[in-house]
Amino acid sequence: MSFERQANQINSMTVKKGLITAAGDRERRIPLQTLVDSDGTARTVLAMLVNEMAAAGIEDIGIVIPVGQSEEFQATVAAAPARVQLFEQREARGYAGALWTARDFLAGQPFLHLVGDHVYVPGRDQRLAGQLVAIATQRQCSVSAVQPTHESQLTRFGVIGGRPVADQIGLYHVDAVAEKPTPTAAEQSLIVGGLRAGHYLAFFGMHVWTPAVLELLAETMRGAAPVSEALHRLSARERYLAWNAPGHRYDLGPRYGLLQAQLALGLSGDDREEVLAALVGLIATHGHSTSERRPS
Amino acid sequence: MSRLVAIITAPDAATRDQEMAPICERSTVAELSAECEALEQFRRQSGNLYERVRALFFLAAIHRYHLPPKLAVDSSGRVPYAGHEHLLERRFEEAIAEFAQAAKQQGPSEPVSMALAAAYRGLAFQTLADQVRYSVRSLRGNQWMFRMGHVLDYPLQIRPELLAVTDGRFPVLVESTPVRMDLSHSAWSDIFFLGMDYPEGARVVNVSVDLCVRGTAARPQPPIQTFLRVIDEPVLRLVSVDLAAQVELTEMQEVFDFGRDYLGLIKAAIIASGLIPAGLEGSGQSLAALLARLTGKPGHGLEISSAVHNIPKGSRLAVSTNLLASLIAVAMRATRQIDSLNGGLAEAERRLVAARAILGEWIGGSGGGWQDSGGVWPGIKLIEGATANEGDPEFGISRGRLLPQHRVLGLDAVPAETRQRLQDSLVLVHGGMAQDVGPILEMVTERYLLRLQPEWQSRQQARRIVDDILGSLHIGDLQNTGRILQSNYEGPIQSIIPWAGNYYTDSLIAQMQQQFGRRFWGFWMLGGMAGGGMGFVFHPEVKAQAQDALWSVMRATKKRLEPAVPFGMDPVVYDFAINENGTWAQLRTGAEALLTPGYYALRLPSLIRRELRTLSAGQRAELGGVAQATLDQPAFSGIANALIEQMLPRQQSGPAEQERALDDLLAQHGFDREQHEHIRAELKSGRVGLAQNVLPRSTSIEDVRPSEVTDSRSGLAAKYRTLGEAALGRGEVGVLTLAGGAGSRWTGGAGVVKALHPFCRMAGAYRTFLEIHLAKSRRTQRDWGRSVPHIFTTSYLTQDPIAAHLEHHAHYGYPPEQLYLSPGRSIGLRLIPTARDLRFLWEQTPQQTLDQQKQKVRESGRAALLGWAQQAGEATDYRDNLPTQCVHPVGHWYEFPNLLLNGVLHQVLQQSPQLKHLLLHNVDTLGADLDPSVLGLHLARGSALSVEVIARSAEDRGGGLARVDGRLRLVEGLAMPDERLEFELSYYNSGTMWLDIDRLLAVFGLDRTTLADSAKVTRAVRRLAARMPTYITIKDAKKRWGRGQEDVYPVSQFEKIWGDMTALSEVDAQYLVVTRRRGQQLKQVAQLDGWLRDGSAAYVEGLGEWP
Repeated sequence: MSFERQANQINSMTVKKGLITAAGDRERRIPLQTLVDSDGTARTVLAMLVNEMAAAGIEDIGIVIPVGQSEEFQATVAAAPARVQLFEQREARGYAGALWTARDFLAGQPFLHLVGDHVYVPGRDQRLAGQLVAIATQRQCSVSAVQPTHESQLTRFGVIGGRPVADQIGLYHVDAVAEKPTPTAAEQSLIVGGLRAGHYLAFFGMHVWTPAVLELLAETMRGAAPVSEALHRLSARERYLAWNAPGHRYDLGPRYGLLQAQLALGLSGDDREEVLAALVGLIATHGHSTSERRPS
Repeated sequence: MSRLVAIITAPDAATRDQEMAPICERSTVAELSAECEALEQFRRQSGNLYERVRALFFLAAIHRYHLPPKLAVDSSGRVPYAGHEHLLERRFEEAIAEFAQAAKQQGPSEPVSMALAAAYRGLAFQTLADQVRYSVRSLRGNQWMFRMGHVLDYPLQIRPELLAVTDGRFPVLVESTPVRMDLSHSAWSDIFFLGMDYPEGARVVNVSVDLCVRGTAARPQPPIQTFLRVIDEPVLRLVSVDLAAQVELTEMQEVFDFGRDYLGLIKAAIIASGLIPAGLEGSGQSLAALLARLTGKPGHGLEISSAVHNIPKGSRLAVSTNLLASLIAVAMRATRQIDSLNGGLAEAERRLVAARAILGEWIGGSGGGWQDSGGVWPGIKLIEGATANEGDPEFGISRGRLLPQHRVLGLDAVPAETRQRLQDSLVLVHGGMAQDVGPILEMVTERYLLRLQPEWQSRQQARRIVDDILGSLHIGDLQNTGRILQSNYEGPIQSIIPWAGNYYTDSLIAQMQQQFGRRFWGFWMLGGMAGGGMGFVFHPEVKAQAQDALWSVMRATKKRLEPAVPFGMDPVVYDFAINENGTWAQLRTGAEALLTPGYYALRLPSLIRRELRTLSAGQRAELGGVAQATLDQPAFSGIANALIEQMLPRQQSGPAEQERALDDLLAQHGFDREQHEHIRAELKSGRVGLAQNVLPRSTSIEDVRPSEVTDSRSGLAAKYRTLGEAALGRGEVGVLTLAGGAGSRWTGGAGVVKALHPFCRMAGAYRTFLEIHLAKSRRTQRDWGRSVPHIFTTSYLTQDPIAAHLEHHAHYGYPPEQLYLSPGRSIGLRLIPTARDLRFLWEQTPQQTLDQQKQKVRESGRAALLGWAQQAGEATDYRDNLPTQCVHPVGHWYEFPNLLLNGVLHQVLQQSPQLKHLLLHNVDTLGADLDPSVLGLHLARGSALSVEVIARSAEDRGGGLARVDGRLRLVEGLAMPDERLEFELSYYNSGTMWLDIDRLLAVFGLDRTTLADSAKVTRAVRRLAARMPTYITIKDAKKRWGRGQEDVYPVSQFEKIWGDMTALSEVDAQYLVVTRRRGQQLKQVAQLDGWLRDGSAAYVEGLGEWP
């Protein structure tokens, strides 16, 4: 990218486009799962993500989906509060391939990106994606939401190394990005001051990226972890920040991932009392381990 | 300000590198005491690690070497027992406080000063070891392993490639690793402490090499291979092919139990690699759950195995560190801590593996230099110390980092032709000697921190030698390289540590020089000391011839020396090649997913014996794979034969022959079966044993009064000298040297003849104990013009070697008619100890605690030995070793009676009827001589025994001179009812006594005329023997196996002690206090350096007349 173009883009960065990746093997069914949202309404995961984007001011949303599932996906976003386009991922090139599929749609503009197998529960009332977009707009650069994550969980995420931004708590300059690092590697290059021992800043599945990311992705596409590598290069090429998001992300992929997400949504919303009562009841009935149970 | 503190804190190197000794030598006792106080204050206040440690070494040196000579020779002081206890338990600060308090109360004295020296030295080394432990644990990349303590937090996963089953089998990840040899280590600058304090002086040129023992393989290969694979059983299976050991671990705690089997090194690697993080020790977590999480497959586990091809222990090629590194690398690859599954490593990965290998060595309780994992890197490299910078855990603590930096030398630095020439000129060998390098490394550290001159100059010279070697390699001048390497060995290395060389090595060098003249280009010491792995550089034309020559010369020299020098194995000659890859991995899949034939020879018998249906799918698939390999892979063609050998063992001829030889040995040397069975029965019933050795608690044991001993330390009246000189002039005095023992503490139970060990250079040549004693007698002969009969008592172990040795050396020029050997007439058969005695020894006897990890390893080993004793049968005969290791001398009480029984005393008196007195001493009491003044004192009093005692220092353990129930006598340490009592005794038994022959014969009920009556003599000896107490002791016996491997077993034996003669009412004994130089015994090799540095060696040298 030329300096002039970069300067223009930085001076005028507004985020109106969004991209959701929902074509991965393990994501194949997850975005279409229905959960009860914190407002008590049953929605698909995808609909929640689209709502999150729309609330962040995104006007055009692209969704990368598996081949042959347009109808199902279309149905779930029919009532979306923004323009939605679906892109079938024809080449099996993983997460990077999904991003690459939407390159024309993104057309050299900054964009908000959410992954299709996560649900986000904000810590306070304000929506997380909206806050992220605000930061990116204010700071005129790429910003990825991150969350302190224990080293035993690192093999599931991209992880950043960085240093705090002087004037704002919770913001970090990104110096390095590594894909699913072992704690051995994390300890050597990804330690960030101010975190608990054994914790690192792992991606939240929510980013605002400048077009440079896709340009770099073109260079790293053949590597083992093209997206993380592209982001690593991004950190050397332009200002790239990480934001310690005050909410929680729930990865729906692992065993009981959906259950945890549902409980989190329930406990953070209008039906909290009801969910809590149900939980207590469950614990009272099934709380003993098998070996401790006595015949009644 | 203190002059010594000023040296430590000086900003300029010239002042800082000053030696302390000249200042100490010029100081008075008061000034030295003031310096000690200043140093003590300084070391407590300084925040800098090396300032503290250097101050501690200064304090140790003052108390060990500089203060005692300035004190009055008869200054006496008592070492407080509480301080001694602290010292044993490694509570050094508390020990120092106790000893300092004693010095304050009693005034300065040699014993308390020596105790302080030991405590300061211990604290200095502990501080350094703590720093290494801290550094290695706080290295980034290592910390997480220490903080995780629950399986749910376990972060590693096996790579999917290792889980891809083909034909029922999992892939095998193989790591092949070369070993390393150092062209120079700049005078042991690879010791962590040196590199961390003096990074600019830490430089090593190090080459990765492939090896094979000459004549056993077609071409050199990486000698280390390690393997990792997933298995369909929920266990951690560890296999060492070369040690023929295997174990399946099912409990987490077993991974942390290092001493129970031969697989401690693999366990250490598993922990250091993070596979089982160190934080899980003692967590009670389930190993199966961890393995399930690691593999992602419940019911599955891992197998990790190693094979070291034909490289014996003690090779000085850092086999164990590189094996550790190889295991760590393979485990890190498997868990994605290293990127690639095939090929070499990136530089950052090599550094991480090296750091983890250091961690593994600490975990396993072993140690090595920082360059030892050089085999991980390719080719030839320069490894140098690195300055600690901000962000390093060492920053602000030490000048250098724990981990050095490696610069692999390219073809521009060492051209390809030079590499070829090096391979064409160098003959690499293992001389076969078994040695412990540990004490040498401690000596180096101490000397470095004291900046002893000229050692410091030699260190500078060694630094320059690295440049000379690199220059010489650059231009391809191997002849010059050989010359430099030899000058390094003869110059800086031996000037810093004389003990790095030895007689065996010098003898090999001389023989090569003689055989090959100018075509022998030089000798190269590998590793910490000579005698094991070594290099000889020759003109390429004669290399093959030199390989043959070295092989036969080493074998012949070993054969000549092995009765005296501990050899671990037969010497070998290697073929080698420079390895330009470093450690290298390969993922074997499908039909290739096999381990080595040696592995299957070890593993298959247990599988084949099981019913097919009880085997797992993976095991069945593997059997099929091996069957196929025997058909189409030449390397596997011998497996069938090996299996038959394993499963249908032929009647082995070895053990039966060994049994016969043992029976013959017992028969020849007067084994008393009846007495043996009696002792066994007593031992079994608990009537005798370690706990029963002691005197009854009601016994009164008190220190002697000053008036009860004669102190000779400040000189004796001239009349005594006159008396002594007259007796010497009349030829009335001879020497009786006790040389029957195996010197078990000298070699850690190796069972060699201590008297013949050429352990030290004296008057320009290596000298044996035996030769030194003869040199003293020769001097007496010269001074008084009368011959001195010199008798060496021998035993089953020492008689033949001593006779042959004297013959070979023409009796060292001593008149043969005055030289006698008194062969032993008693022998015992060792017993497997009772668990009761082992527990008493390990739990109730105060013992030196080791550093944390080493102590853990020791305790785990002891649990295994207890199991061995119970399984093998408590108090049964110990026969599972070489015959000479199964028998034992029965204590030196028998030495004098043997003289009567074997007729030697009779013969001596026939030849020298004027002989009236004998000086009896142990072979290791080198300062004992026929001093006319001391002799005069013995004569003046007219006692049967004049016993020489020395002022007790903390290291003098084993009884002493006491008033026991009112009688003045020597009392054995074994008989002391309370350890504390020993510390109340001022004097320690030096083992040296003057005997009045006629009075002593009278005690036996004999005289000169009845000596020829063997029946009468036998009755007399038996009668007195029955009155002597019998002690049970536990000694170490080494058992050698494999290629230079050795195990040490505790064995029970009994002894009668000569000192107990002083308890007999009819024996009139007097006690003379002599100087430490005269009375100290050299029991352990670790004493040698202090003995040399404090002037004792020079004192002994001055006593002799040298041929």
